Amino acid sequence: MPKTKFPAVLSTFLLCFCFWILLTWSFETQELAAGAVVSLAAALLSARFFIHEKAFWLFNPAKFGALFAYVFVFLGELIKANVDVAKRCFGGCTDVNPGIVKVPVDLKGDYARAMLANSITLTPGTITMDIAEQDGKTYYYIHWIDVCETDREKAGEIIKGRMEKWVRRIWQ
Amino acid sequence: MALRIVIDVLVAVGFIFALAGTKGILKMPDTFCRMQASTCVTTLGVLGVVLGGALYAFCIMGSVSTGVKVLLIGLLLITINPVGAHAIAKGAYKNGIRPDKEMEIDDYRGDFE
Amino acid sequence: MSDVIELLIFAVAYAFLAALNFYRLMKGPTPADRMVAGDSMDVLVCCAMVLYSLFSGRGIYLDIAIICAMLGIVDTMLVARYLEKERGA
Repeated sequence: MPKTKFPAVLSTFLLCFCFWILLTWSFETQELAAGAVVSLAAALLSARFFIHEKAFWLFNPAKFGALFAYVFVFLGELIKANVDVAKRCFGGCTDVNPGIVKVPVDLKGDYARAMLANSITLTPGTITMDIAEQDGKTYYYIHWIDVCETDREKAGEIIKGRMEKWVRRIWQ
Repeated sequence: MALRIVIDVLVAVGFIFALAGTKGILKMPDTFCRMQASTCVTTLGVLGVVLGGALYAFCIMGSVSTGVKVLLIGLLLITINPVGAHAIAKGAYKNGIRPDKEMEIDDYRGDFE
Repeated sequence: MSDVIELLIFAVAYAFLAALNFYRLMKGPTPADRMVAGDSMDVLVCCAMVLYSLFSGRGIYLDIAIICAMLGIVDTMLVARYLEKERGA
């Protein structure tokens, strides 16, 4: 079990406290004190589970800018894929050609992999089913609603699009 | 007045995508394709309502706390739902649920068994 | 109460979509089908609650929607984990 570190506790505490303020939306001293106590307890108990690497990576203008730009890149991909799937749904639902493709991914770190997998799942038409590591390489198993390319590398290019480049820029 | 039209258009676009996703869930041929259709509901269907609602809360109601809460609900739904979709897809495949028609390419079967 | 009647109309429409998903929840041949339908019902009900809260101006529905969104993932994960361990339907 990993040890509890101070920056991890501090960042988790700040996150919990912001959440508390958003939910209660009152700035009396009593409410704030109660929130601080509760979020400190939550941070002490749970910080070691979800922060393994650097806690304050976002306090870096280049990475924050990349994250901000990624939101718009991702929204573009999202709208394109949504229109595509909506057309299939309204067009009688028979125009599907499903399959599961194994796609190589070149990313380091758990957070980056999880972020790319979630982005792929969130685009309609593709769902990440599993992540496997073989011979030092990472592979995603992706269920794809319209398999138009059975070669793994090219399919990966089509599925990931511009997202992989941006995710790598955020986390490195 | 123009603001209200913008809000209506946002919510209506969200509703159209939610309708498409619901039709997909009812009509798609196999389990995994239904999952694909359900992500249509959870992305743009939510995003339209959340953006329109936040605009309404900030600009017409003038209540910051309501707007922030609406945005929070959107963020929560959008960041949390892919995890559930991924878990359900993996669980369904490992449980032995397969589509009726043979799939075009199935890399998972060979590596998993 | 406010004069933006279209929010109420959209809230009712979203609730109607959730009711349509109930068909798949009842019929779905496999547990995964039922779970997908239940998950999207959860999301649609959240959206309907947000719209109704904005229409009526009562903040309590938003808190309920947040709790609804949080609990929706818990039952999905629970059923998914169960399916993963239980082989062969």
